[in-house]
Amino acid sequence: MIADVPIREIVVPATVDEAAEIMRARAARGASVSFMGGGTDLGYGNSPERVDTLLKTEKLTRVVEYAPSDQVVTVEAGLTLGALQKTLAAENQRLALDPPRSELATLGGLLATNGYGPLRARFGTLRDLIVGISIVRADGTVARGGGKVVKNVAGFDLPKLMVGSLGTLGLIATATFRLHPMPERREWHAVATRSLRDVRTLCRALLDRRLEPSAVVALAEADACATYVLFEGFGAGVESQGAKLREVARDLFGGDVSRVDAGRGVDAAALAEGARTYGNVRLRISTPPAFVPSLEHDILAPLRSAYRECRVVLYPTVGATFIGGFPREGDRFVSALEGARAAAEAARGNLVVVECAEPSLRERIDAFGALPDSFPIMRRLKERFDPNRRLNPGRFLGGL
Amino acid sequence: MILRTAETVDAQRELAAIVGSENCIVDPAELRVYECDGLTGTRVRPLVVVLPASTEEVAGVVKVARRYGLPIVPRGAGTGLSGGALPVENGIVIGLSRMHRILEIDFENLRMRLQPGVINLDVTKAIAAHGYYYAPDPSSQSVCSIGGNIAENSGGAHCLKYGFTTNHVYSATVVTSDGDVVEIGSPCSDAVGYDLMAALVGSEGLVGIVTEAVVRILRTPEKTCTLFATFPSTDEAGNCVSGIVAAGIVPAAIEMMDKLAIEAIVKSTGVDWPLDVGAALLVDVDGVEAEAEHTAAQAVRIARASGALEVRTPRDERERQLMWKGRKSAFAAMGRISPNYYVQDGVIPRSEISVVLREIADLCAREGFRVANVFHAGDGNLHPLVLYDGRIPGQAHHAEEVAAEILRICLRHGGSITGEHGVGADKAAYMGEAFSEADLESMNFVRCAFDPHAIFNPGKVFPTPRLCGDRAGAYVPHATEISEQAGRG
Repeated sequence: MIADVPIREIVVPATVDEAAEIMRARAARGASVSFMGGGTDLGYGNSPERVDTLLKTEKLTRVVEYAPSDQVVTVEAGLTLGALQKTLAAENQRLALDPPRSELATLGGLLATNGYGPLRARFGTLRDLIVGISIVRADGTVARGGGKVVKNVAGFDLPKLMVGSLGTLGLIATATFRLHPMPERREWHAVATRSLRDVRTLCRALLDRRLEPSAVVALAEADACATYVLFEGFGAGVESQGAKLREVARDLFGGDVSRVDAGRGVDAAALAEGARTYGNVRLRISTPPAFVPSLEHDILAPLRSAYRECRVVLYPTVGATFIGGFPREGDRFVSALEGARAAAEAARGNLVVVECAEPSLRERIDAFGALPDSFPIMRRLKERFDPNRRLNPGRFLGGL
Repeated sequence: MILRTAETVDAQRELAAIVGSENCIVDPAELRVYECDGLTGTRVRPLVVVLPASTEEVAGVVKVARRYGLPIVPRGAGTGLSGGALPVENGIVIGLSRMHRILEIDFENLRMRLQPGVINLDVTKAIAAHGYYYAPDPSSQSVCSIGGNIAENSGGAHCLKYGFTTNHVYSATVVTSDGDVVEIGSPCSDAVGYDLMAALVGSEGLVGIVTEAVVRILRTPEKTCTLFATFPSTDEAGNCVSGIVAAGIVPAAIEMMDKLAIEAIVKSTGVDWPLDVGAALLVDVDGVEAEAEHTAAQAVRIARASGALEVRTPRDERERQLMWKGRKSAFAAMGRISPNYYVQDGVIPRSEISVVLREIADLCAREGFRVANVFHAGDGNLHPLVLYDGRIPGQAHHAEEVAAEILRICLRHGGSITGEHGVGADKAAYMGEAFSEADLESMNFVRCAFDPHAIFNPGKVFPTPRLCGDRAGAYVPHATEISEQAGRG
């Protein structure tokens, strides 16, 4: 089942050619097709109207081409991020992306859902890392865009366009990414902030002092808030930034800063990931970064009261907030979600349901909220790529 | 020859009513300025050039164009090198140069809202005193405009570390081919729906006209260290580039110049670079002070180990600016060593630089041309300049053929036909060599989603004229679409 919708058939192609063959055959009989990678985000979006065929990419796991000296890699979509990182680590490189559950999540799935983690603060999302793509279109045609060089403006940017398209424009078959060197050193620091106002003050201070963290993560509870800051790079830079962070924190909050990492009993990355994957109903809230101090009152507090238990994690420099947990009874949650969404949209942001494993709730909430101004263009895009609405129908924004 | 039918006269009158007759150019002598952009070899006189001052005026112009069936070519500062702003005969050119206001500076969210005619360098100038800057820095940054940068997905020397225009634009106000005004993207981190900004940036004027954009601004790094190193040949310089990258350094920029380029730059700008060398690198590393100094010292060591003849570091900011001025004026400097030159823009995997430069040198020698190279070595973006003498009959054409062959060399090495100058009119013919029919068809899907009428910049990017004809099969709308629940939110 995908989002409570029964699956009529599961296919597992072993090659991209085989996947194209399957797509052609399903087109001929008008079957709808949904795609599945590691299955970590199957609850993202609205329920598909039907799933005649579920195409799993679990056998498409080849590293097609890896050129360490060019810092570029091409992989098939079913490769997990964890497996890719292992290959890259042997050459002292990485894909600068750290979404939750990277051992399970596949590159294809991460592209389709625009998965990201704390490193977004410095390296952006997959749209900033992808340089080439090949897709299998609804009719089985294989098409590609971009290439295998980092700098390239030949033609429309299909690779970026596919990021976050949730399997509604085509099957992502292979993708090419730019890579980054593995930093010589990485250090997480815990800063004793108490509120989201403090978090925002800290972020401004980091900027004013020209520090360049790779990530800033805040774990916000109703009456407490811990912030973790990641510095990466060569030893000299990481050390000097750590020292400056201590000064900044002392001046601002009077408290100290402690180094934290897995070896010291506190694993900031694991804490943040735990919060990202907590609960059976999870939301992502995007707001401008300066809105962070208002988040608790305007958005988080009403949502917290609608969850029996929940956790909140923010990437405050990015303006991305995640709340996940176990909701109280339906009505209350639905109205809290609607209120929070209205507040996010009033701040020119949005609220998206990224997981909803409560069937009763799923029927009553829309995953995406208000349609943007540009929706007619999105609909025409869908019409061009998938004229018969067979790819993950109904799953995406506005029924696309 | 342009036909002045009664209809076109009517259209011109309506356009003048929208933008004012002083901003509606029909006089053949005045139109001459707009006959080409930076690709000066090809010229077409448009029917009319309009210079609107607002989003509403742009929308009005587009509606008139639609009614009369006139194609539209948007134009920024006209500095593009691929003919993206080349007019269409009997078409309208919409020049955005009068829309040059900075609308909002938001230091809290690190964003700026701009009109499309704002000059690239003016963005940074407006915020530099506060310690911020706008990262994309094409060499033409003192004259090119943000709208043109968005259309072309402009790069620059520092995109190696900081990315291209596409990585620095959050949202845009766009006039569509229906004359509607829509917001694309979001000023927040994640927009809902398809990433239309991905399609818009780099679309070379084929999908709509940007009348406002929200761009990202960055904090100026605490420290920037620059080094200039000379080498016996481009081989050693290429090895140095590979060595720096292999050491885990992400430089802000690595620029390479070969012997002929150095000669032209010295003659033109008077920088005191040595002439008896085969190649030079100009490298920027930046970041927090300790990091930048550490990586700069390492880069110097790698340069020496790679066989550098000399490594210089600027004594002060003035000297640093001078080094960069030398690099950025390289194209213009070619006039000192050749009557004419043809700028090529191709990309190859970085590790192939030495091999490809040799292939290009062999090709040019065989065809009887000198070639100068000045390029973004860090990301393998070559700019071979084929030097020729336009006074000799046939040479210009021959040089163009050699430049085309250079693109084929890039493609054979797994590269691209353009890294930053765009496809435009110049390279549309080569798109079919770089992409399959299915690839191009998919790109055309994107274009047609934005501009089903195909009135924006026809004849550019795609190798053969493409319309947005009927689709295969009828679209099956979703229930909420029919019931209008899914109208505009």
